[in-house]
Amino acid sequence: MTRLADDPESKFEASLISRIADGDESAFATFYQRLSSSLYGMAYRMLNDAKEAEDVLQEGFTYIWRRAGSFDPSRSTPFAWAVMIVRNKAIDRLRVRQRSERLRERAEQSLVQQRDESSAEQPALRERTAIVRSALQQIPQEQREALELAFFGGLTHEEIADRLTAPLGTIKARIRRGLLKLRDFLQEET
Amino acid sequence: MIDEQTQELVLQYLLGELEPSQMEAVRTQIESDAELQTFVTEMEETLGSIAYSVQPMAAPPDIPQRILRAEKGPVRPVPEARRSRIAAFNFIPWALAACLAIACILLGVDRERIREGLSKELAALRETNAQTSKALAQLQQKSADSEKGIAAARERSAGLENELAALNQKNAEAQAKLSGLKQKAAEQEQTLADLRQRDADSQKELAALRERNLLSEVKVAILKAQVAKYQQANGIVVWDADRRTGVVQLDKLPPPAPGKDYQLWVIDPSQTLPVSAGVLSVPSVGLIRTSFHPTQPVQSAAAFAISVEKSGGSMKPEGQIILVGK
Repeated sequence: MTRLADDPESKFEASLISRIADGDESAFATFYQRLSSSLYGMAYRMLNDAKEAEDVLQEGFTYIWRRAGSFDPSRSTPFAWAVMIVRNKAIDRLRVRQRSERLRERAEQSLVQQRDESSAEQPALRERTAIVRSALQQIPQEQREALELAFFGGLTHEEIADRLTAPLGTIKARIRRGLLKLRDFLQEET
Repeated sequence: MIDEQTQELVLQYLLGELEPSQMEAVRTQIESDAELQTFVTEMEETLGSIAYSVQPMAAPPDIPQRILRAEKGPVRPVPEARRSRIAAFNFIPWALAACLAIACILLGVDRERIREGLSKELAALRETNAQTSKALAQLQQKSADSEKGIAAARERSAGLENELAALNQKNAEAQAKLSGLKQKAAEQEQTLADLRQRDADSQKELAALRERNLLSEVKVAILKAQVAKYQQANGIVVWDADRRTGVVQLDKLPPPAPGKDYQLWVIDPSQTLPVSAGVLSVPSVGLIRTSFHPTQPVQSAAAFAISVEKSGGSMKPEGQIILVGK
């Protein structure tokens, strides 16, 4: 079984973080260039607001600049680490803002029009995107739905249970099983 | 093997759902468990991969510059007039830095102490959790036992109810039989009462018949004077042939002369001589009644007679016959 941290892309990004920790501004710029489109897309997906997504992206990369030294390549991939940082910033915003679900859905419709096809043309990113999408399609719909509400919606398990009118235990189980299956699919692919 | 509950707790930790104290407790647990650490790494990578599913978007290119500018801060020239004054206080930053360093050390020590305390609390919580789980398991076992006991008791109760129903049925049947017997007893009582009545009637009839029979056995004879001297005297004899006894009643018969007695005789055709029925005591003129018993067995009393005999009576009639009756 191959870990994502062992692939060349991750190793290169880990070396960039190491240089960032030493105050290398060019490494920081490169790291931003490689990850920003995915992270921005994710922030936008979560917040449905371009300005807020931009603010979150800036807060996330500020954190990366300041705390690059805390990154442990044995515990995480650079991408996962950066994703969790930006996601946490977005969730902070979501929880403060408490935006309504209607606003979120409305904004999702406009998301299609703002896609960055040029970023998707990067071969490694395009391949990774295809793999993850395929893997997500292979897990049961109800598990995927709970997982996406937790990850992108920033909803707690209890909030998801309320929204889907399902018992809390069921939601916990769906998220856990969905993630375990996704992990297995991704490990098979890599 | 990581149990499902721990897996779910770790996922809540990674998704940022836990309270700060819970986050710290889970972090401590992860650091002390290599298997759990591997699981956390895999889950974090998997969660991170989900971001790949989103269509990338062109991010503003100047963000790194903005960050770096903000981090460095504006470089402001120091006015000449202030430089000498600043030089005089050059030690201040160093002093502040020293204070800061000391504070950091103190905080670091404090943090270690807090972490140690939290670790102990976590261990205590785990111990409590284990005890609680054990107690819960025991309670569940007791509950299961109780349920079994209740089921057995219900079964016994059902059996007893069946037995009770059978007994009630038998009791009802016995009551019905008893009722029938009482009815029969009442009928028999009635029959007995009828029989007793009939018996009483029969007894009455029998008594009447006996009376009639007695009457048929009784012979009544009127004694009439045979001598002028005793013309005023009269008498009556009632003879019970069955008992072979009788009663004689005399009226206006004068007392016998001295050395004489009146003697009663029963004339029985089957015998050659009259049979003596005893001497009659007549102390004065008046009504005399006395019973008598013949001195010999009498087959049939055809007539009765009174004669005057020597005092104490005779074996056969020797004196004058004064009264006779048939």
